[in-house]
Amino acid sequence: MPSRTCSHSPSGFGKSLPEQGLLLLVVLVLLEGSVLPLGAASSPDVSHQDDSHNHKVADHGVNATKKVFPVLDVDYHHIQTPFEISLWVLLASLMKLGFHLIPRLSSIVPESCLLIVVGLLVGGLIKLAGEQVPPVLDSRLFFLCLLPPIILDAGYFLPIRPFMENVGTILMFAVVGTVWNAFFVGGLLYAVCQIQPANPSSLHSIELLHCLLFGSIISAVDPVAVLAVFEEIHINELLHILVFGESLLNDAVTVVLYHLFVEYAGVGTVTVMDGFLGVISFLVVALGGVLVGAIYGILAAFTSRFTSHTRVIEPLFVFVYSYMAYLSAEMFHLSGIMALIACGAVMRPYVEANISHKSHTTIKYFLKMWSSVSETLIFIFLGVATVDGPHSWNWTFVTVTVILCLVARVIGVVGLTYIINKFRIVKLTTKDQFIVAYGGLRGAIAFSLGFLLDQNQFAHRKMFLTAIITVIFFTVFVQGMTIKPLVELLAVKKKQEAKRSINEEIHTQFLDHLLTGIEDICGHYGHHHWKDKLNRFNKKYVKKCLIAGERSKEPQLIAFYHKMEMKQAIELVESGGGVKLPSAVPSTVSMQNIQPKKPPPAKAAERALPQLPKGREEEIRKILRSNLQRTRQRLRSYNRHTLVADPYEDGFSDLLIKKQKMIELEKKIKEMNNYLTVPAAPPDSPTMCRARLASGRDTDFKPAQQQKGNKICPDPQAYSMKPVSDSVPVIQVDLASPQSPDSVNVMDEFRRANQEEDQGLMMKPPQGSSGSNKPGEADTTRDQQRLMRCLSDPGPSADEDEDEPFLP
Amino acid sequence: MGSSSSSMDHIPNAEELMQETGFSAAHLLRLYERFEFLDKDQTGELRPEDFGAIGGLALNPIGDRIISAFFSPGQETVDFPSFVRVLAHFRPNGTNRTRNGTQQEPVNSRTRKLKFAFQLYDQDRDGKISRAELLQVLRAMLGIQVTEEQLQSIAERAIQEADLDRDDAISFDEFKKVQQVSPHPQTPTKETPLHPTEGGR
Repeated sequence: MPSRTCSHSPSGFGKSLPEQGLLLLVVLVLLEGSVLPLGAASSPDVSHQDDSHNHKVADHGVNATKKVFPVLDVDYHHIQTPFEISLWVLLASLMKLGFHLIPRLSSIVPESCLLIVVGLLVGGLIKLAGEQVPPVLDSRLFFLCLLPPIILDAGYFLPIRPFMENVGTILMFAVVGTVWNAFFVGGLLYAVCQIQPANPSSLHSIELLHCLLFGSIISAVDPVAVLAVFEEIHINELLHILVFGESLLNDAVTVVLYHLFVEYAGVGTVTVMDGFLGVISFLVVALGGVLVGAIYGILAAFTSRFTSHTRVIEPLFVFVYSYMAYLSAEMFHLSGIMALIACGAVMRPYVEANISHKSHTTIKYFLKMWSSVSETLIFIFLGVATVDGPHSWNWTFVTVTVILCLVARVIGVVGLTYIINKFRIVKLTTKDQFIVAYGGLRGAIAFSLGFLLDQNQFAHRKMFLTAIITVIFFTVFVQGMTIKPLVELLAVKKKQEAKRSINEEIHTQFLDHLLTGIEDICGHYGHHHWKDKLNRFNKKYVKKCLIAGERSKEPQLIAFYHKMEMKQAIELVESGGGVKLPSAVPSTVSMQNIQPKKPPPAKAAERALPQLPKGREEEIRKILRSNLQRTRQRLRSYNRHTLVADPYEDGFSDLLIKKQKMIELEKKIKEMNNYLTVPAAPPDSPTMCRARLASGRDTDFKPAQQQKGNKICPDPQAYSMKPVSDSVPVIQVDLASPQSPDSVNVMDEFRRANQEEDQGLMMKPPQGSSGSNKPGEADTTRDQQRLMRCLSDPGPSADEDEDEPFLP
Repeated sequence: MGSSSSSMDHIPNAEELMQETGFSAAHLLRLYERFEFLDKDQTGELRPEDFGAIGGLALNPIGDRIISAFFSPGQETVDFPSFVRVLAHFRPNGTNRTRNGTQQEPVNSRTRKLKFAFQLYDQDRDGKISRAELLQVLRAMLGIQVTEEQLQSIAERAIQEADLDRDDAISFDEFKKVQQVSPHPQTPTKETPLHPTEGGR
């Protein structure tokens, strides 16, 4: 990786050698892509000539010369399709790499814009090379291959609680808003086209239904674009979920309107009956999609219950079931997007309780990877398709469309908010409304839908496409680029990087109970009442069916608590080397990349901490500061693309506490001479050691004893813990101990797995593992496995939704 | 539903209550009806048994605490004004009707709500949530599936996280601070049951 200082130089890109190399590589790839097809065109002739020549030669009889054995032969057609696909994917990935190497650029311009520009360039290059631009944004390719990963990623990691709390608002925006947009834009467009006074342009021939169809295509907010832009602006959770949820749920509306108008555009008239059928159809599409998704989700959850013996293919079930849900829904013309979302959201709590940590990691990474690549490809293809696509520019039509879209959106949002605010507790302010309106980006879905139109039936298809592309460009470029500064300007509340503390968790549950109780007293069967009922149902029946073994009984709070303790334990172990720093920096551990915020560690350690020599503190502070700088540059808040949560957003106090813990551990390590070179701390974090101590289970020190060779560490003293601090009750991290019965599951799993392979993925001390470290590591890895089993990807709302009941 | 004016007469000090709690007449009426429903033997006051008769509350882990919150210390019964006052905590923000210049904090402000919740934790009303009290709450919420050790560790951790002044208990200020990021403790439905369209048993 090029060092940070390099890329900060004003002349930035291209200065450092690796970056130049990357640039060269990209150019080569591009050239290759465009030149090879040309080469392919000529090669068949060559081989053909050879053949004919050979035939002739063979005909001449036995004394014909042996044909030259083709030592090197170019047969492009054989591999053409997969090759080109791979080339595109490679290009997309290299582009992503490239953008992140240019830090300033990626902070000004959202990635989506850059990618579209790249697409334009590539398309232009291909055209220049005289080649036929491949119809990359083919609708089938788009809807069947490119879109599902993104939606699945969104659905699987959907923050359920905020979503459900705002579902009414989201539905209003999605359904009513989209319908309003469609009719407004379509209707007014038709009117404008009709009133063209002077020039009898082709616009007059547009029919109303065609306009309405166009309106319905253009009015849908696009999830891909929204995701791409909103990911980078870190807006507060409410707004994010509103716009994002809307973009997901309006698919049903779009599907219905689209099919309705396509059907009837042929006929030419729409009756009231048709309208009524349309409404019914909408309900069927939406609810049917959700139902299909839920069924597949439950199937997936159920399947995952039995996968304890074949852990390797667990992720596959998740992906395949989800994809099948999508395809099944598409088969019935139901809303595939809603099916996918429902499937992901339904299966997640159960699947995560069942699968191994590694599968969990795999799922997370694969989803992120696919959705990332998909998104990149979509934007690049948009650019290419723009260069290629049949265009028919009509000033009036296009400009009016753009204006109408904006106006319709604003009016829609404002009007709907006025109504919605009557029912909401947390009202939507004007700022919120502005962001919601401004965040209504259009994207590739609109384009693909337009592309699907039949040229014969819709004479103005080209014009439509041009207009759609213009709107997309406008929203993505103008709105996408300016939304970030606007958010800053308006001081919209940003996402709070709230560390989910145990107190919050307790209190949230407490509150839920409290409010349910109050509702019962009032006799009102409201929100909380039904939530409570659902939870009870979930706990009593569903979890038993879908979750294997013991975990079905684990209360949510306990799971949450385990998770926190594990995370902390791992952090401490990782940072235990003293010079190793707060482990949010994923220096050694790939899995640590997944780690979201760190909770504040147990403060009892502070009380036990002896006085530090001044020099020591200074040294540590210096180290901390320098690392802080470095990591601030490298890490960013969680977003789909980096998967690394920025720990420093939490605040500096955590660091100081950690520093103290580190010092503690350092002291301990000093006492263990054999480990000076191996920064990995023993499996006993102070927490665990305290646990063992307090529980009086001195026998648990066997692994520690093994580690320390013959030196048996007298437990408490090693940590300079005063007995008084052991009023601290036992911490249940006994799970970590090999003797703990609870860890049996995990242990078995590991015994079976290849130990080496485990550690390949596991946390390793940077210098590699020495033999005697193994038990310690195994222990730690067990902790980590246990932890990672629980860890789920922090969506924009970080940790909050891990292990929550099905519908919290 | 009788005509509102006549029923309102049954409610003692209706005007005053409305002023104090911010409920509208309709809300108050509805609450009064509910009060009468709960008051099985028509004494005009509620006893713990009356609350206990509510089905959902029996299943609620903190049901008994909620019930006891209605009863001021030492009192055996709850009359309607007290009933309403307690429930007023849960009236959603933003519907504060202007009062005659009351300077004190509106009844359903966030702080008041948190105070109410705090008091539910703090059974002995000493202003702090001690470890024992926290343990009780956890025990109630988590039931029997959890071992004592686990409960202890959770309680320990919770106190460590929140306890800033190191007195081994959570005071109200510390409690408030921890809940900074939590959503408003409001029931979203308090408004709606009093709209004819949505409410209903």
